Amino acid sequence: MTTAGYEGTQDSMFLKQLKKTFLDWSLFRKVMSFVLFLVAWSLIVIAVDYFQQIPTPKAVLMALFDIPFTAILLHIAKSFFRVLAGFFLGILIGFPMGVAIGYSRVLKCLIFPAFEMIRPIPPIAWIPMSVLFFVHIESQIVFLTFYGAFFPIVYNTMGGISEVDIRLPRAAMSFGLDRKRMLMKVILPAAMPQIFTGMRLAMGITWILVVAAEMMANKGGMGYYVWYNHTVMDYPHVVLGMGIIGLCGAICSIGINAVGNYFTRWRRIF
Amino acid sequence: MAAALEASEVVFNKVGKMTVFKKRQTVILKDCSFKCERQKLTVLIGPSGCGKTTIINLIAGYERPDLGEVLIDGKKVPGPDWERLVVFQETALFPWLTCYENVMFGPLARQVMSEETAHNLALGLLRKVGLEGFHDKHPSQLSGGMQRRAELARALINQPKVMLMDEPFRGLDAMTRKLMQEYYLKLFEENNATHVFVTSEVDEAIFLADNLMVMTNRPSRVKKEIQVDLERPRDWSIATSKRYLEIKAEALELLHEEALEASKSSEKVDIDLSGFSQAS
Repeated sequence: MTTAGYEGTQDSMFLKQLKKTFLDWSLFRKVMSFVLFLVAWSLIVIAVDYFQQIPTPKAVLMALFDIPFTAILLHIAKSFFRVLAGFFLGILIGFPMGVAIGYSRVLKCLIFPAFEMIRPIPPIAWIPMSVLFFVHIESQIVFLTFYGAFFPIVYNTMGGISEVDIRLPRAAMSFGLDRKRMLMKVILPAAMPQIFTGMRLAMGITWILVVAAEMMANKGGMGYYVWYNHTVMDYPHVVLGMGIIGLCGAICSIGINAVGNYFTRWRRIF
Repeated sequence: MAAALEASEVVFNKVGKMTVFKKRQTVILKDCSFKCERQKLTVLIGPSGCGKTTIINLIAGYERPDLGEVLIDGKKVPGPDWERLVVFQETALFPWLTCYENVMFGPLARQVMSEETAHNLALGLLRKVGLEGFHDKHPSQLSGGMQRRAELARALINQPKVMLMDEPFRGLDAMTRKLMQEYYLKLFEENNATHVFVTSEVDEAIFLADNLMVMTNRPSRVKKEIQVDLERPRDWSIATSKRYLEIKAEALELLHEEALEASKSSEKVDIDLSGFSQAS
């Protein structure tokens, strides 16, 4: 085929590319989304008497400049430590447990019913009991974040394993894999997407719990920062603290997504 | 392929199989007896849901018969084994492995040959099934026909004594399906394993078969065995030969009877449990 008759098309292809790069309306609209949100927020606060106490975006921005820098870094570090400690403890204990329950019918019968009884209790309801379990406040908070991470990891690992297409282990069985090698070479790779779904959920829950726990514990951290500023009626800093918590949560979920995508990269090639 | 292949003989001797699901018993096979001869291609054809896949699972060793026995060279099936490999419906390739890694999976798992031997075998087989440029592709990157060929290669590299084909070409479009059938037949005619092929397509069945077993509805058994004495090697030009059309007419007649039977007795299916009193 010759290109005769296609010159015009090529030209418009170039224009199309140009438009795509410099006149990207969808990008513009996405940016506008933030702007509109901030404008709406400001307008509501200014126009509606009832919301007078609520800080405007501008007030929050100004608050950013008068926070004690090292102090806030310390709060962030504390929250991060508690989240990650709970999260990794959750993986350390929850993942093998999920594998055991998912892979062995005997263990499932032994463990699963008791789990089902405990699971509906919201983790926050465990706060008083955690005081009984642990003397150290730091351990109480980490216990709570661990507890929040534990169930999503156990359940999704278990679910991922029990939902593996039966033909895959069957094929592998014919190739002479024993149970242990079957687990490593077939079951876990096949279950990996759902295992990471569990970890993503767990990461979200640990952030919820760390904030709740820190609000009660008086031991620093971003939850404490928000609560403290609430008690001194400094609401711009409350909102700023909320924003920082959101940012931290987003960073964690981007991190876990990146790791998850790496381990399940075969799912994204077509 | 390099090594001389052995083939096994598969015998079903009055096999009975039933399942219990939510207290409802279903007899899948009853008094099912037939023989798949060494180095022949036996095709099982029957109405959908008549238990053809169960027969494959019994030979592969994934399930055990409730009554009777399934014999491989005179011995009961001990369990899943590389000697009897299944090519499943749709694809059962490992999606996280590349095409090449999938083919290498069996040899590496069994550790019966050196990695180099396996590597050379894999390259040869992939070339043979026309996947030479696709070693590093994952199953999701291959077309349906390519996936089926990769799966054929994954099984063939182990040099099984029995190849079990469980409606392997279902879901492929008509053109690809015909090509795959010719491909598969070429592979079969070159290597001498015993093949058991399950299908619900009459043309596919006759084109491939040495022996054609027409199955009844559930509870399933062999209704009639038809010798397909068309000469090999075959291609699709035989589809117009007189003998082919005779066989096709006979097979269709038998299948039609079964279909009528099924529609007549649809409400009393699954009730006859005699012969299963001593089981379970």
